[in-house]
Amino acid sequence: MDTQDPHPHLAHLLKQYARDLAQGAPSPDLDARIGRLVAGGRQTVAPAPLNRSPVVRYAAAAAFAGLAIGAGVLLGMRLEHTRATLATAQARAHDTFWPPADLAMWPSDSVSFKIPAEYSAQGTLVAVDPDSKHGSTRYWIDVVVSNDGTFRIEQVVPADPAQKKGGHDGAAPPIR
Amino acid sequence: MKLVSSDSECMARLAAGDANALRDLYQRHGRALLRFSSAMCRSRQAAEDMVHDTFEALMREPVTFDPAQGTVFGYLCGVLRHRVSRHFRQQKRWVALDLDSDTSPAHSNDAHTPADEIARSEITMAFRRAMLELPLQHREVIALCDLEELPYAAVAGILDCPVGTVRSRLHRARALLTIRLASLELIDLENEPALAQRGLS
Repeated sequence: MDTQDPHPHLAHLLKQYARDLAQGAPSPDLDARIGRLVAGGRQTVAPAPLNRSPVVRYAAAAAFAGLAIGAGVLLGMRLEHTRATLATAQARAHDTFWPPADLAMWPSDSVSFKIPAEYSAQGTLVAVDPDSKHGSTRYWIDVVVSNDGTFRIEQVVPADPAQKKGGHDGAAPPIR
Repeated sequence: MKLVSSDSECMARLAAGDANALRDLYQRHGRALLRFSSAMCRSRQAAEDMVHDTFEALMREPVTFDPAQGTVFGYLCGVLRHRVSRHFRQQKRWVALDLDSDTSPAHSNDAHTPADEIARSEITMAFRRAMLELPLQHREVIALCDLEELPYAAVAGILDCPVGTVRSRLHRARALLTIRLASLELIDLENEPALAQRGLS
C-alpha cells in the first residue's frame, strides 16, 4: 500500500507539535508516584515467579495426577473387595436359607409299626390290654412315623383274617 | 541515576524482584511514554495517570513481557495504549471535549516575541484539538508514526496488527487530520482536492 508523505503543512504542524510535546517533562508528582511504586514494590514484588511457576505447576499437576490415580486404584480395590464379599455372603445366604435342590418335600425315611388295638367300653380304639379277658374284636393299626416328626395312621384292619375285607397281607400277631 | 546496560536486563531484574529496575525503566522511557500519552489523552493529569498505571502494571506483572515479540518500549506503549483505550471507554459518556488549561504541551522557547508565542500557542492548541477529535485508532497511529517516528514494523507490533494495516490507518488518519485542520484554516487545501476527497470519503 502506498503511504504518501503527509501534506507539507500537516508535516510542519506535526513536527511543531512533536517538538512541543517533547518539551514536556514528567511532573514531580509523577516522579514521586513512581518513587512510591518502587519503594512499595521492594516489599511486594515476588522474586522470579516466572522461573518457578512452570516447575511448581508441573509438580502440582504430577502430584494431583498421582493422587487421582491412587484414589482410583483404592476405590477400585474397595469396589472389587465389596463385590467379592457380597458374592460370598450371597452364596452363604443361599446355602443357609434355601434348601438344596435334592431335598424333597416328603421325609426321606420312615418306619412302620403295627399296633394291636380294640374298642374300649367308651367306643374308642385303644391299645390292647394283655390282661383283658373279654374277647372283643382286635385290630391292627398300621402306623408310620417319619424322621421329620410326622406321624400318620396308614390303615386299621381287623386282626382276625376272617374279618379281613382284603388288602392287608400281614399275619395277625398273637393276642395274649 | 545510573542506568543499566539494557532494557532486557532491567526486565530480568524486575522479574527477579528488583524494584529499582522499574525506576531505571522509568528513567529510560517515562518521557517518551508521557509524550505518547499526552498525544492521546485530553488532560495532562490523565496522561500522567496513564503512565503511572503502565508502570504499576509492569510492576505487578513483569513476566508478561516477551523479548521475542518486540522491544521493551514497544511493550510499554502497548500497555499504555490499552490503558488509554480503557480510560476512554470508561469516560466516554461524560467527559467533555473542553481542554483544561494544563493540557497544552510545554511551549518551546524558540518563539521570538510574545506575539509569536501567542500565535504559536493558538496553533498548537488548535492542532491538539483536531488531533483529539480523531478516532482513537487514528490518533494512536499518528502519535506513534508521525510524532514518535517509530518504524511501521514497531508500530504494527504495538498495535498488534499487520504493517499494511498501519499504513492504511496512517493514510486515513492523515487525511482526516488534514481535512479537520483545513476546516480550522490551518491548512490550505485549495490545491489538494484529491486529498480532500479521500479524507471525506
